[in-house]
Formats: sequence, structure tokens, C-alpha cells
Amino acid sequence: MRRFELAEPQTLEEACALLNDDGDAKALAGGTALLTLIKHGIFIPKTLVNLKKIGGMSGIDYDRQRGLRIGALTSIYDVESSPLVCQYYPWLAEACHLVANIRIRNMATIGGNLAHGDYQSDPPTALVALDASVDLTRGTGTRQIKLSEFLLGSYETALQPGELLSALVVPPPDSWRGTYIKFTTGSSEERPCAGIAALLRMEQGICRDLRLVVGAVSPRPVRMHHAEEFARGKEISEAVLQTIGAEASRVVDPIDDLRGSASYKRQLVGVLVRRALAAVIH
Amino acid sequence: MKINISTTLNDRTLEVSVYPNQTLLEFLRDDLCLKGSVEGCGVGVCGSCTVLVDNRPVSSCLMLATDAAGKRITTIEGLGRNGALDPVQEAFLKHQAFQCGYCTPGMIMAVKGLLLNNPHPTESQARDYLSGNLCRCGTYVEVLAAVQELAGR
Amino acid sequence: MALVGRDVTMVGGLAKVTGAVNYAPDLQFPRMLYAKALRSPYPHANILRIDTAKAEKLPGVVAVITQDDLHGLNPYFGPVVDDQPVVATERVRHVGEVVALVAGESREIAEEAVGLIEIDYEELPAVFDILEAIKPDAPVLHAQRKETTAGVHREEFNFQVGGNVCSVYHVEDGDIKKGFLEADEIIENTYTLPPVQHGHIEPHAATAYWEPSGKLVLHTATQNPSGIQEQLAQIFKLPENQVRVIVPLVGGGYGGKTHARLEPALALLARKARRPVQWVLTRDEVFLTGRRYGALVKIKTGFKRDGRILARQVEAFYEIGAYALNGPVNAKTGCYVSSGPYNIPNRSLTTYSVYTNLPPTGPFRGVGVSHVCWAYESEMDDIARRLNVDPVELRLKHLVRERDIFVTGEELISVGVTDCLCRTAEAIGWKGKEEQAVPPEKKNLLRGKGLAVAIKSTTTPTTSSASVRLNADGSAVLLTSSVEIGQGLLTSMAQIVGEELGLPFERVTVSSPDTDVTPYDKSTSSSRTTFHMGQAAQQAARDVKNQLLDVAAKKLEARIEDLELRDGSVSVRGVPDKKMSIAEIFRTRFGSTVGSMFGGYCFKTAGGLDPETGKGKAAAFWFFSACGAEVEVDVETGKVRVLKAVTAADAGHAIHPKQCGLQNEGSLLSGMGSALFEEMVYDNGQPINSNFLEYMLPSLEDHPQEFQSILVETPHPDGPFGAKGVGEAALPPVAPAIGNAIANALGGVRIRDLPIKPDKLVAALQAEKENR
Repeated sequence: MRRFELAEPQTLEEACALLNDDGDAKALAGGTALLTLIKHGIFIPKTLVNLKKIGGMSGIDYDRQRGLRIGALTSIYDVESSPLVCQYYPWLAEACHLVANIRIRNMATIGGNLAHGDYQSDPPTALVALDASVDLTRGTGTRQIKLSEFLLGSYETALQPGELLSALVVPPPDSWRGTYIKFTTGSSEERPCAGIAALLRMEQGICRDLRLVVGAVSPRPVRMHHAEEFARGKEISEAVLQTIGAEASRVVDPIDDLRGSASYKRQLVGVLVRRALAAVIH
Repeated sequence: MKINISTTLNDRTLEVSVYPNQTLLEFLRDDLCLKGSVEGCGVGVCGSCTVLVDNRPVSSCLMLATDAAGKRITTIEGLGRNGALDPVQEAFLKHQAFQCGYCTPGMIMAVKGLLLNNPHPTESQARDYLSGNLCRCGTYVEVLAAVQELAGR
Repeated sequence: MALVGRDVTMVGGLAKVTGAVNYAPDLQFPRMLYAKALRSPYPHANILRIDTAKAEKLPGVVAVITQDDLHGLNPYFGPVVDDQPVVATERVRHVGEVVALVAGESREIAEEAVGLIEIDYEELPAVFDILEAIKPDAPVLHAQRKETTAGVHREEFNFQVGGNVCSVYHVEDGDIKKGFLEADEIIENTYTLPPVQHGHIEPHAATAYWEPSGKLVLHTATQNPSGIQEQLAQIFKLPENQVRVIVPLVGGGYGGKTHARLEPALALLARKARRPVQWVLTRDEVFLTGRRYGALVKIKTGFKRDGRILARQVEAFYEIGAYALNGPVNAKTGCYVSSGPYNIPNRSLTTYSVYTNLPPTGPFRGVGVSHVCWAYESEMDDIARRLNVDPVELRLKHLVRERDIFVTGEELISVGVTDCLCRTAEAIGWKGKEEQAVPPEKKNLLRGKGLAVAIKSTTTPTTSSASVRLNADGSAVLLTSSVEIGQGLLTSMAQIVGEELGLPFERVTVSSPDTDVTPYDKSTSSSRTTFHMGQAAQQAARDVKNQLLDVAAKKLEARIEDLELRDGSVSVRGVPDKKMSIAEIFRTRFGSTVGSMFGGYCFKTAGGLDPETGKGKAAAFWFFSACGAEVEVDVETGKVRVLKAVTAADAGHAIHPKQCGLQNEGSLLSGMGSALFEEMVYDNGQPINSNFLEYMLPSLEDHPQEFQSILVETPHPDGPFGAKGVGEAALPPVAPAIGNAIANALGGVRIRDLPIKPDKLVAALQAEKENR
């Protein structure tokens, strides 16, 4: 790897100050994405700010009122294997489990995963469905924004210079039932061609509420508001599933990539949305 | 500027200095001459550089050496005791679970990680856990057989 | 037999499971430098100016080589055509071509120095598509070409000069026009295959240094030490004994390490640096260095309604990239097998190797054959469907049998293809015609089974030589330049030598190649080692054995025919008391119990083809194989899962059945990848998936739940103990077996361009629906 300097701050404030003072410096968390970019020469840094020496930035807390709070440096594996996450948000555990391989999940952090802004990833889709937020800090102050507003596009986020993603906050699961489906077009190890997160609240066979998010087909996870609206108050019959699938297929704006053509992805979304909902119901 | 770190490698404490841009894999191979962990893809996909950090498998090609500070690192060279092989190594030999052998140390470390985490994996758990370690010679059936024996299945 | 045919413990296992193997990237030498290449960013351009001044001034940079350092050398090389420059001269012909090579004190310094080299290019029009490349107005890559004096027998090729067609090969029999005229039906289709990666997990790696005497020493991960020696001697105008090639255990090759890649430029750099230099490629560089040919295969078959195939015409174009390498060999090898292992009375078969501005190619497990097999085995199933007959029956009716005359005019022997097919069909649970029945509609998951067979030659004529050294204590070493690349020759060759010398397996070891010590071998390719080197090893051992028997016969006053060599002594059959140990024989012959007895043998295969007619003897032995697959197709998403797979190969006589089985497993996995998802993608010559994040190899999860390897054994009279090769035999039928299984699941809907990715299947199903 090309030579670079490494700053190893002990506190969040220090880290933010370093990033603020040197606009070209980049924050390094798990490193699985950033070091790959450096190795490929896509990014040639002078200084990396290593966050891993900062205490208190990892760990998972759950509170029935406030929900889940996950420190940004928590590894993806620690999220997927957390008894709290497995119990209250099994579909989030599943989305995390489906990321890359065990080694990468042991290294990569949930904060890094979100801040990287890679659309071909699983956790962002599940988290947008959960209406998660992220804490962005400058060391001195912290703002919280919805993840859906944080993810702006392919490798684009709302992170400002000198700002760090410090924590992930997920509202309580209430009575959601859900699923996450990752679909790959090649090897089992590939990144998703499409990812579908579906959360459903049912009462006596009637859909009270639906959250439906399509990920990996376009530069950011997209909530299917129309489809959600349509489903509310309806009995989820085969015909309704078909309609929701068709609506999702119509609304998405897929991009061509190595995992599939735009037209294929559009069609695929319809199928997967229908299957995801059917899986939640049954 | 080199960075001083203290780390535990194969049960021995080391006080060393490493370069900021040095990966753990480079540190093991270049500085310590531990050549059992090898680079295949450099991007965390193939698994040939798998080592355990605090008993969990990681891709040493994507971990900075400085992040080994305060951690317990186990490499293929650290398996076995007093000249005896580790049971995973024994099982690989018994089932001929290798061909060219280039991916083998990484595969063995991944199996080690699996069994530390789950001593009795089912076949599907083993497939799921080990699918991130690639073998182009095609020796997966034998690796699975070795794991099934180790798992007592 | 005591050793042959037994699954003895594989040699080298202990080093492999403990990480103790020193592969080429692991080697370290005092004062060693690191090489890094500056590569062309353009697919086709003139080099106007190179300025290395800044790079050379960077502290820690020891040497930089460019086209200016080629004086006094033969600057072009290649296994068949000398068209490849040591470093780019005046022109670059593909993205990633090496324009300069830097030696630095560290990898980082070398990499930084590469960034300081200034180059001005003038872009030239480039061509990437096979059919575009052969058009008369296409940009020409090589206006002039010089044939080499090294390498394979170049007289067997029809080289073309002027355009981008590098070579043409043609063979025919019967009367193709008449055949088509007499046919009741004719089907005609075009099949394509993209370039794919060998995927050896060990990248290309080598270390070079020059001894003060002017001798070049190379430690390199190659499948071909003798070939590297020959080529380097030619480039540097040295006698071959001044080039020493040493090969450690190789971390996978699959054909990708058959030809000189790093060695010429690295040797030049080491000469300039006057220090050892090591060059290990990164994975994305491996993608720019070698790959399997892309191909387009046109196939046309005429048949009678009673199921007799009368005529087959094949025209195949192999896209060989910017330099020939073994492209012409590949096209030739693909040509004469392009109608399959079938008796068809009228055939016309033509293949072309075609230059494009894409990175260079090279032999790949199943050389040339996977391409045509994909076409002819898909076509066989289409014909069966048209005729409404069982595709297995259709094949059986036409399969070649023992002593049949092949299209090249030669008699086929050791023909186990019928057994391969029948046993595979049984293992996959083939039920006959109903496997092609149209499945019920309105289900998302459809299942189907498919079968395919293949025939392949081994490169012929070639030479392998071996030497056996027997020590007085009854231990022996086989000296061979064959390379251990995971196939297990350290084990199988020891079995052969031990069997011949009556020694326990543990008493025989096999050397690694070192051209100062080990004799010539054509190469570890074409799955030729067991047959060729096995024969050389057996005969070399027999040479030693004869010397032992000679001495013993005199001393024991017995006839040689009455003696047997077993467990380290020679005894008279039936008279157990009359015996001599190997040590006693040494004392009798040399007067003491120290010393060595040498045996040697040079095994040459006869044959070759007339380049005008394509007739002669193509193969010292033929590979036959089959694959069966059962798949599940998700018709809504187009996703295919291989549930079960069977691969069968005719091993002649399996020296080590387990190792043969592992070869079958490897063939399946590689074949499955290229059937379903492996594909190198370029955008105007720029590779866009040249790493393992974007180009995935099949994983353990992709491996079918059920896998079975079958070894058919049809002994070959010229093979050691009847053995033939198996390494690549089972790869070519894998993709068509999977393609046929998919077509059978979908009532005949077929994808003809690999890989069969979900989007193609969904589109094909949609088109089918609209056509109905």
C-alpha cells in the first residue's frame, strides 16, 4: 500500500478536530472498504484518522421505549450475533449476517458500513425500513438525522467535513414482523443485486401498517411509500401482493451494473417484494 | 514514522514497531517471516490470509498492523502444541482436504474460528461460515468432511 | 500392485497444513529488491516519450527498465510466435501492458516510483470484438510477425500475415455438401463464451538474480521450467545451461502459469539492478496478465429423421488478445474435436485464432475444447429434442468406440467415453426421454437434468525425460522437471517409481524442478504429466532395476528372468535364500556400500498433424469425460442452483484414485463458475471487474449439495501401468451439462452465450412466452 500517516486519537473530539483541520484526511474504522479503495489507487490519502483507539464507541444497548442504540464501531458480526438484535430485530440480524464473509463482518463496523454509502450493501436497506437514525458529531455537538436522509446516493452521504457518525439509533420494534431478502445473481459471496426489507403490522388478517424498502438496485435504499399506503387496511391476498409487487417494480429507478441490467432489476423487484411479504405473512 | 505496539502473537507477547500503512499480513510475512498466511486477492474475499484476532477470523490483508495492538493474534504457525498438530490440521490431512495448498492455512484458520465459535456446527452452518474461503482447486467436499468429523457429526 | 492404484498419503500434506510451504511469493533473498510495473492505460497506442528521470531519483529506487534497455537482446518472445516484447517497444497493444519495470528497496518505493514515470502516448484505433477484428478495415495489431524457433512445432500451423487472424486450422472428412443435401433436417446456431480467469489463488510470482559469472537464476511459479529456460536463453542469447530455473510448489495454475509472463522483464531488471529482484503481481494485475480465450462458435448439423447425424460443420473463432501465446495451439486443439466424440460421416471443421486489443490469454484447463464442447453438446440435446428421442440414446448411437477412425485419420484407442456417459447417466438418475419432457407450468421452481460428454487430445508430439537415482541404502529420488501444482505428482510419481523398484512408498522422493539438475520436460500442462512423465519415470526406474538385476544375476548365478526385485532386495523366484540386498549389490558393483546408481529415460511421443490437411496423429492419448447435472431454476428470477453434479473421466488406470477424484471436483467447480457467472467484462478494452470483489469464484455455498466423481479405467498401452491424464478432462462437459439441464427444466429454452446469468434466462423465458 502507498505510504500514509496514521493519526490515532483517543477521543471523539480529537478525531473530529483532526478531520476538521485536514480536509483530505479520512476516518478509518474497520478498514475493509477504505483500505480496498486505497489499494486500488482510487483514493490516495496522506493521513488516515484511526478511530479504533477511541473508547466507548462500540456496544449495543436496548431500551423498550427508546429502542436500540449501537455504537458506530460495533462490528457487523457483533450486531448480527447480539441476543438483543436477534430477539427484537431478527431481520436486521439477518441483513447483517448476509454481508460479505465472516472475516469482513468481524472487521467491518456498522458505522463504517453506513458512512461508506455503498448502495450494494444489506444493512442500510433493513435499517431504512426500521426508520433508523444516525448520530453525527463534530466532537462539540451532535445532530441526529434519519438514515434515509443521511444516505444521499452511491458513496454519497450527508456527512459534513469534520463530522463523524458516532452511533446508530433504531426505534423500538413495536409489533413489526419483518424479513430481509438478499438476492445475488452470481456466487453466494457476491454483493446484492437487490435487497428487500419488509416490515408488516397485521391485525386479524388486515394490514395495519407496512414498511417496504428496496435496496441495491439504485444508488440508495428507497422506501415504497405508495405501496405502503396501498397496503394499509387491506387483507393481504395474493392479488394484493401482486399489486404491491407491481407497484414497487414501477416505482424503482434501477441502474445497470455488473449484477444485472436495469430492466432485469425492475422485474426482479416485483418478484422479490411479493416473496418478501409472503414470507412475513406465512 | 513507525508506531510502537504491544501485541500477543501465537501466545507470545511482542513489543514491535510497525509502519502506519503496513497491513497485519505484511507485518507477519515481511517483519516476522511468518509465511503461512498468504495473499490471494488483497481485498478480503479469498480468505488465504485468514488469521484469528481474539479467536475470531479476520482478513489480515485488510487489517492495519497497528490495530494488532493489545490483541491476541493466532496464525497457522501458532496451531498445535509441542510439535503435535492441531486436530483441525489432523483432520485436513486425514481427509486430504487440500490440493495446491495455497488456500489451506487460511481455510484451516477459518475452520478453527468456526469451531471456537460453534464446536458442533451442522453441515449448513459450516457451509455458511466457510463459504468466504475460496479454493480454486475444488477441495470443498473434503474440507466439509473434515469439519463434520471435527464437529462430531 | 503394492503402490499403484492405492490412495497412499499425499506427499507434502504436512507442510501444507502447517503453512510451511515456501511458495514463490514467500521466498526471500539477501539484498532483495521489489519490482513494480508501469502499465499501459490504453488498449492501443504509440509510445512517444518515456521519461524515467524522476523515478530514478527517488531514494530507494535501484533500477528502471524500459524499451531503451533491450539492446543486444532478442527483444521478442512467445511459445509459438515471437510477437511479445520483453517490455513494450514503441507500441502498446492492450490495457495493462508493461511499459516500464522498477526495482526498489520496498514495494511502496517501487510503487511510488512508477507514479513518477512520465509517458506520452498517441492513441490508436483499437479492436475488441472477434468479428470486428477480422474485418478487412480493422486496426491491425501485428503488421509483421516472426515465427519462433522455440516452443511447439510451428510447422503445424497455418500462420496468417497481414490482418488480425493469427492462425487458421482446418480438417474435414466425407463430403460436407452431400451430407447436408441428404439430411432431412438441419439446425444451425452460434454459441459464445466470454473470457474467464484461471483463478489460481497464488498470483504470478518470481525472483531473479544473476550470478557474477553471468548465469541467470530464476525462482518462479511456473508450470513450465524447461520452456522458461529455453525462452530466457533465447532472449538473452545464452546457452541453456546459463539459465537456471527453480520452481517451488505452485499455488495453483490451471494453465495460467504455462508460459513466460514475468520472467523476461524481471530477468532484465535484475541484470540492471545487479541484485535479486522479486515480482509478485497484485490480483488486478493477474487479470491483465492471462485469461481464457473468449470464443464464438458457429455450428451446423444435418441429420435424418431416423436419428442418424450425417453432417456437421463448425467454424470457431478464438479471441486470443494482443499476443499469440498459445492461441494457435488452442485453436488447433479445438478444431479437430469440434464435432465431438462422435462418428459423423461428413465434417468440415475450421478454427481461427484472432488478435484483439484485449489483455493476453493463455492455455486454460480444457484448452480450446471447452469452447467447442459448449456448442456441440448443447446442439446434441437440441437435436434429440427435435427428434423426440433420448439424448443419451442419440449420443450412444454416434459415440466413437475402440479402434474407430477419427476425423484426423488416426485410430482411437483407450476409448472410455461410452462408460463415462452411461455411468454418469446412472449416477445422476437419468430416466431417458422423459427428462426432456416439457414441465408443468405455473411453478416457480423447475428442475431438470442434463448430460454432456467430451473428447480432448494431449499435446503431441512431446518429450519428457526423467532420471532416477538409487542410493545404496535403498532410497531413491526421481529427478523431474514436472511441477507440483496441486495435482499430486510428488505422490503419483513416487508410487510409479516405488512400484517399479519394489521399494516402500516412503523410500522414494520426487524432486522439485531445477533445470541445473532435473532433465527436460515439455511442460506440466495438457494433463500430460501422469502419462508422459509417468512413463519416463517408470522407464528410468526400470533402467536402474536392470542394472541391479544384471549385477545380481552374475553374483547369484541366475537368469535375469528368474529374478525379482522386492522390498529392497533381489531374489531368485522360488528360492528365497538366494537373494541380495541393494546394499550388497552396491558393494559388488562399486566395492563399497556408498554411491548412487542412475537410471534415465527420455520418453517421446510420436505424431503430429499435416497443417494442410489436418490429418495425422493428433494425440498420444485421448481424454474422454462426461458430466451430469441436476439443476433447479427459479423461473421468476432466473436464478439457477446446481443441486447435484457428477463428473466422470477415463483415467486409463488411476495411479492414485483419490487425487483423480480431486481433479474431477476441481473441474466441476471451475466449469460451474464459467457456466453460471464467471465472465471478464471490458469497456473499450478497460477491464471493469478485475478483482475478486467483482469477479467471484464459486464458493462452498455454490458447490452442489451432492457431488460424485467417477473414474472409468480403460488402460492405455503406452501409459505407465495403463494410466492417462485426468486433470482437465472433466471440465469441458460441465457447462453444456448445466445448460442442458436448464433447457430440460424449461422445456427447451436455451441460452447459447455463457455465462447463463439470471437476467439472460428471464429475458429468454419472456421471449419464449411472447413467441407462443
